[in-house]
Amino acid sequence: MTDTSKQAIFSQSFCARIRLPRRNPYRLFLSVILLPLISTGCRAPAHDRPKGYLVAGIESNPLQLDPRYSTDANSVRIGNLIYNSLLRYDERSQLQSELAEKWHMLDDRTYLFDLRRDVTFHNGERLTAADVKYTYESILEPSSLSPKRGLLRSLEAIDQFGSHKLRFRLRAPHAPFIEQFTLGIVPARAGKPGASNDQAPPGSGPFRLEALESGEKVTLRANPNYWEGSPRLAGVVFKIVPDALVRVLEFKQGGIDFMQNDLEPEMLPWLKNNTDAHIEMNQGTTFQYIGINLTHPILRHQKVRQAIACAIDRDSIIRHLLKNIVSAAGGLLSPHNWAYDQSAHRWPYDPARAEQLLDEAGFMDPDGNGPRPRFRLSFKTTNIDLRRRIAEAFKEQLQQVGIELELRSYEWGTFFSDIKTGNFHLYSLAWVGIEDPDIYHQIFHSSSVPPNGDNRGRYRNSEVDRLLEQGRVTLERSERQMIYRNVQRRLAEDLPYVPLWWWKNVIVKQPGLRGFVAYPDGELISLKKAELG
Amino acid sequence: MKQFLLRRLLLLVPTLLGAVSLVFVLIHLIPGDPVEVMLGETATAADKEALRQSLGFDRPLATQYRSFLINLAAGDLGRSLYEPATVVQIIRARLPATLQLAFCAMIAAILISFPLGTMAAIRRGSWIDRSALTFSLLGLSLPNFWLGPLLMIVFSIHLGWTPVSGRGGLSHLILPAFTLGLGMAAILVRILRASLLQVIDQDYVQTARAKGLQESRVWLKHVLRNAMLSVITIMSLQFGGLLAGSLITETIFSWPGIGRLTVQAIQTRDYPLVQGCVLVIATSYVLVNFITDLLYKLVDPRISYGD
Repeated sequence: MTDTSKQAIFSQSFCARIRLPRRNPYRLFLSVILLPLISTGCRAPAHDRPKGYLVAGIESNPLQLDPRYSTDANSVRIGNLIYNSLLRYDERSQLQSELAEKWHMLDDRTYLFDLRRDVTFHNGERLTAADVKYTYESILEPSSLSPKRGLLRSLEAIDQFGSHKLRFRLRAPHAPFIEQFTLGIVPARAGKPGASNDQAPPGSGPFRLEALESGEKVTLRANPNYWEGSPRLAGVVFKIVPDALVRVLEFKQGGIDFMQNDLEPEMLPWLKNNTDAHIEMNQGTTFQYIGINLTHPILRHQKVRQAIACAIDRDSIIRHLLKNIVSAAGGLLSPHNWAYDQSAHRWPYDPARAEQLLDEAGFMDPDGNGPRPRFRLSFKTTNIDLRRRIAEAFKEQLQQVGIELELRSYEWGTFFSDIKTGNFHLYSLAWVGIEDPDIYHQIFHSSSVPPNGDNRGRYRNSEVDRLLEQGRVTLERSERQMIYRNVQRRLAEDLPYVPLWWWKNVIVKQPGLRGFVAYPDGELISLKKAELG
Repeated sequence: MKQFLLRRLLLLVPTLLGAVSLVFVLIHLIPGDPVEVMLGETATAADKEALRQSLGFDRPLATQYRSFLINLAAGDLGRSLYEPATVVQIIRARLPATLQLAFCAMIAAILISFPLGTMAAIRRGSWIDRSALTFSLLGLSLPNFWLGPLLMIVFSIHLGWTPVSGRGGLSHLILPAFTLGLGMAAILVRILRASLLQVIDQDYVQTARAKGLQESRVWLKHVLRNAMLSVITIMSLQFGGLLAGSLITETIFSWPGIGRLTVQAIQTRDYPLVQGCVLVIATSYVLVNFITDLLYKLVDPRISYGD
């Protein structure tokens, strides 16, 4: 019998012995006072740190671990430890085989896959081609209501040959489809979420779901039968700690071993000086930008947009407000991306040039260095404190060149609704996990104006449209590279977005954690090879 | 009394109906589309429309409201739009945490305020009285988002007596219960002191003393009991608030309660979950008020409810 069960039994017998006198006028009052204390005693203490488990602090509750439905970052990252996919991005953002033993393209719209034969799900069933086929087809089912259905639009059919061979046929050549082979595979009998009492279908990954306590923690246990070998960690507890300061205090006290991102910049020096934390910063793929409404009579002028880009002193904000946890960005794609173009035009901080551009655009300063602005615009952001402070800095910097910003901060739902409906002049947001350059189609193609995509600024350029369509159907990487370099150069001149910075992945870990490798997209998959010293 | 109980129980129905109806209208009026949040960036307009139809969001608001009421009458609060569970399952998982914290915060408030308020009244004008009033002022002035981390730094980091955050055994409860209870205790100290001072000079208290009753008995039977009505009123109002969940304290202490759940549901526009949370909160308030009315009668038998 463990100490925990002894304590539970003691508490229960203690509860049972309580006998309050009948007809006592204070009986009700005493019951109200005593019961919660007793019930607290009856609850066995939580095992925050089972032996050999790594405790990782995360900010929010993962909403849905089923890979067919997961969209929030925590669900996707935790899900990738539970589920395998046909292919997976490595730490250099290169696609590698995972469940696929061999794969190749038969022609520009057909992919052939040979699956590994030594993979079993956590429930002991062998993973076969039928499971892969089911996973994709269950998403395509109109009644699935999966948010990933749109991503599989170009998939025409999946043909199964024997137990471990598959053919994916596309309706037309579609280069970015290859990303969809990173989808987690569930067993063919998984059903829709909520169809069974399980919190998530079993996977075949290095860890299996042990417990999901909503708002508290998600516990994963090592899969001893994992085909790559059992993980060295006994398991991972993802402890949900919404407040960044409290996550830092938890780390200091030893309640958390590992954190990635979602930390206030000013906390890092404190962690360095007051704990034994190992802190790493690596290039990430999250891109922060200022979005512009191009239907606005002032903002539709290219020179005004260029002036805004010149008036913002990114380096100063990065140094003072963000404490170097970001790196200045010239465009959507990070320098790690194969399609990145180093030669695309940059707009360094130059307030004199900004004023000149505004004059050229016809927006003269009415009173020279006086208080009256050239024009007024609104800037929308969320109510997160750091975002508001950054917006204040933009306001101050744009004021120097005669642009007055009215700052408006909203809770997320309202903010996002305004952005989607085009109800804004300027706003700031980030794109997370950018890998394939086809994202430009989603953001800047004229057919992608909401609700059909995310061209929220209503940018229209027929030449860019043509290039983006060409980039989609071109499969040769070197050709695609040329196309997207051209796109980047044009967008750097047109500036439908003002690029700000890429967020670095900030990893804080206890010194005993070895073998963890940071991924640009924040993936935690290397935990399968990590160990606690 | 029976008539009163029956009347109050029947009143529950229109009160709760009013609360959920108001929230139904408000949540649909605020900007933000759950379908956009659910399907994300890559869905086509057709996919979004299909989901809207499947969830019934394409129907007129009045029709949606009618369906909601019919399901509610059958005890069906629907499924969360995001989590793979029913609203009842999600709330059932979170409610014990809120109840536990609310009860313990209440106990902390009582344990602090009753001795302090009583001593302040007995020793009116003394250093005890001044200390109690200073404590009350401090308790009302310290916001929980400041007090919580301060307590963590002292008791968890420096002294190592309690865990920093999370839900678990008794040790996990101490700091959040104290943080939440302190503000309540600060109010109760003032109310209790003022009520006791009002009663202390009443003729029946002097009479009790003249009869030769022990001073402790005078205080317990005649002073404290008669001063309790206003204290109970304030306590019930505060307790109702605690049962609605405390967003700040729950966030700081990573406490998985109803407050955090409600805010998360509002942010993601999870309409069924928002409705469920509001129903629980409204029910808590109504029940606490109901129990308060019963306590009034217990404390002062002269109170009549018209039967």
